[in-house]
Amino acid sequence: MSAILSKENENAQQPDVALTINGLAVNAHTGMTLVEAAWHAGVPRVTSVGCMEGVCGSCRVMLRRGKDVTVGLACQTFAEEGIEVVFMPPASAPRHHYEIGDFKDAWDIHARFQDIFPEASRCRHCHGCDSACPKGITVENGVALAAAGRYRDAGEAFFECVMCELCDVACPELIAPAHVGLFCRRVTAHFHLRPPNLIYRLEELRQERQSVALIESDEEK
Amino acid sequence: MSNGIPLAEALARYRPDSDIGSLPELADTDTLLNTYHPDHLRDSVVKLAVGANTGDHCQHELAGLLQSEAFIDEADLAGTPVTDADVLVIGGGGAGCAAALAAAEKGARVLLVTKLRLGDSNTVMAEGGIQAAIEPDDSVQRHVQDTLRGGHHAGDPALVAAMAEDGPEVLRWLIRQGMQFEQTPSGDLHTRRAGGMSAARLVHCRDYTGLEMMRVLREAVIQHRSIEVWEQSPAVELLSNEHGQKCVGAVLTSLLDDQLRIVRTRSVILATGGLGRLHLNGFPTSNHLGATGDGLVLAYRIGARLRELDSFQYHPTGLLHPSHLAGKLVTEGVRAAGALLVNGLGRRFIDELQPRDVVCAAILRECSEGRGIRIDGQRVGVWLDTPRLERAQPGLLEKQFPNLMTRTRVSGIDPRIEPLLVHPTLHYQNGGAVIDTNGATTVPGLYAVGEVAGGIHGRNRIMGNALLEIISFGRRAGIAATASRDRGPKKVTLEHVNRLRRALTLAGMPLTQRAPRILPDYAAGGVWKR
Ligand SMILES: Cc1cc2nc3c(=O)[nH]c(=O)nc-3n(C[C@H](O)[C@H](O)[C@H](O)COP(=O)(O)OP(=O)(O)OC[C@H]3O[C@@H](n4cnc5c(N)ncnc54)[C@H](O)[C@@H]3O)c2cc1C
Ligand code: SF4
Ligand code: SF4
Ligand code: FES
Repeated sequence: MSAILSKENENAQQPDVALTINGLAVNAHTGMTLVEAAWHAGVPRVTSVGCMEGVCGSCRVMLRRGKDVTVGLACQTFAEEGIEVVFMPPASAPRHHYEIGDFKDAWDIHARFQDIFPEASRCRHCHGCDSACPKGITVENGVALAAAGRYRDAGEAFFECVMCELCDVACPELIAPAHVGLFCRRVTAHFHLRPPNLIYRLEELRQERQSVALIESDEEK
Repeated sequence: MSNGIPLAEALARYRPDSDIGSLPELADTDTLLNTYHPDHLRDSVVKLAVGANTGDHCQHELAGLLQSEAFIDEADLAGTPVTDADVLVIGGGGAGCAAALAAAEKGARVLLVTKLRLGDSNTVMAEGGIQAAIEPDDSVQRHVQDTLRGGHHAGDPALVAAMAEDGPEVLRWLIRQGMQFEQTPSGDLHTRRAGGMSAARLVHCRDYTGLEMMRVLREAVIQHRSIEVWEQSPAVELLSNEHGQKCVGAVLTSLLDDQLRIVRTRSVILATGGLGRLHLNGFPTSNHLGATGDGLVLAYRIGARLRELDSFQYHPTGLLHPSHLAGKLVTEGVRAAGALLVNGLGRRFIDELQPRDVVCAAILRECSEGRGIRIDGQRVGVWLDTPRLERAQPGLLEKQFPNLMTRTRVSGIDPRIEPLLVHPTLHYQNGGAVIDTNGATTVPGLYAVGEVAGGIHGRNRIMGNALLEIISFGRRAGIAATASRDRGPKKVTLEHVNRLRRALTLAGMPLTQRAPRILPDYAAGGVWKR
């Protein structure tokens, strides 16, 4: 049967499921996301929600199924019988600081990276980040690529990263993989993205402005 | 609306290789728009009775909020902690971050406050791309013309020219901040042509343009030494000087602990985004949770003029199914890549790359005239024929639209095999605060940038101009706000609140409703008692 039809039939029956959210026992319908379930049941202060489509990384939850504890995104997880859900508090401020404008020379970049993220070379390959990532990103490998100076490839590994920072929470070495990934993506663009069509148009516009300015100053004379 | 072709029947009839017929001639766009576009629904528009736009047309639910009571009065301000900043930016989307970064680059101490988490915004959800005239066969001139034509010539040509001229420079600035874009094999920025464009002008990062922009700007803001960020801190009111004539700060609340805070400053930059979550005219929306039109309410109460308050963009292709993604978008990029719209009879009914308002009205026409596909008593839509696109260009969906594929995969739908059911969704606020080319509103000290501002898109926005606008005007306002050299406020008051309250009383209007909304009712559990 078609996926739409079977899904719609399921919605029509809507059997109730019982779960807990932030310690409160609530009921929900199959097919509801955990965000919808929390609002539907009136769980107070569920405001770490943004896009509701899995791209903003705000709706971080801890999930307990029996003994099994995982993390995930509430808007991408459906209500299920017996699951315990806790919306996580906002992430703490990052511990790594840099301003991209301070980087003047791409030849220094690996030294800068090691200054800013000294922990990255101490990864103990525990896979904590990989199992935390709701987007299935190969975080551990991304960190290894970064530590090896392969910024373009590392950045590409983080392409679908939604900034939830669940990998940061999971990392015992405080490597902050999410920020490592962003660093890699940013320096790749900052130093290496030099598109000819854009550069040509920028120069054309600069010359136009210059000649307009010349004409105007002539007119003033 | 119960007419339409039942889903099972429409599915049985659907084939990705069927003959979909030739496109019927589009007789008269004006009649189509006047009959079916939600802006023209009967009783949807009223005239404002008080404030700077007295007598102007305004969507009725929005009018109710603009002409309403504030959350706080003078008594609430006593004993409230005060923070000083050179520039206060309200809103942590793309426009707010660009403004904060520009002001900080100019040496200002910036405080950026935002309702939810930094980056929870409409910006992060943008998929399609950002416009800039960079191709050899394109020009700033053509960008200006397309924008004005797309907006039915209601836009302000000076603002449009400022934005289009900034286009290439905006891309350079974004690349400097570390944003990546799709490239051609020879290293050019890859461009697409989408609805309303006379040349290929849409630059993008696959279908995650907004996410890439937002995560880079968010990181840049977090990392910046001169920018402080307060999250979960919505602005509930602006502050004025003792004459109620100049904006000198804002009052914030906290979604975490309900504590009010006063911020005193020389300039306030409103960057609060749109209002999809007001669900105007009962429509679903593509917008993020925080899009409740707060900036319009705050700006109007302090006396700023607004414009095009009766004009909203309903994106033609919101998902109708699955229900937890109702109203969420299928980017126009999919139509730009060649996907067709097909009704329940298996027929094409409109040129898919017509301006959005026209395509939207055409879909609503199909639905109301019984040619839509009906899921149940309420939900009717049309097909977006993705399987046909996949047949024509195998692999394209997976390669260019990973976002769409990931989202539908969660629900067990494969757009390569089954067409998507779509219906128009409330997407964008075309109008907003009246601004000049610095983003300054008609109230001294108050700037407005991004979706909360008006004048660029006229009565209809073409794709990719919003992402350009937020950076172009965000930066302009950030710089201008920093240039203000006055000594800062002596006194912060709610004089403007009193003024509007008097006007409302004089006009005999009830003071029953409080605004801004901050959160839609369904998400406000435990946060307040309105
Ligand atoms: C699904 C989707 C796809 C889109 N695709 C494209 C596209 O491809 N190309 C394009 O050009 N445009 C696109 N747009 C439009 C574009 O993304 C937005 O118009 C633009 O990003 C708005 O930016 P902004 O910074 O003005 O507002 P936002 O990005 O929405 O940011 C506003 C911020 O203000 C905060 N805020 C709101 N109220 C308050 C308050 N009272 N106090 C404090 N903070 C507050 C919000 O929480 C939010 O963080 C799309 C929009 C959507 C929804
Ligand atoms: S890489 Fe980290 S921050 Fe990015 S999506 Fe995965 S867990 Fe979240
Ligand atoms: S969680 Fe940290 S230490 Fe463990 S594999 Fe990931 S990056 Fe390495
Ligand atoms: S709300 Fe944005 S990822 Fe869940």
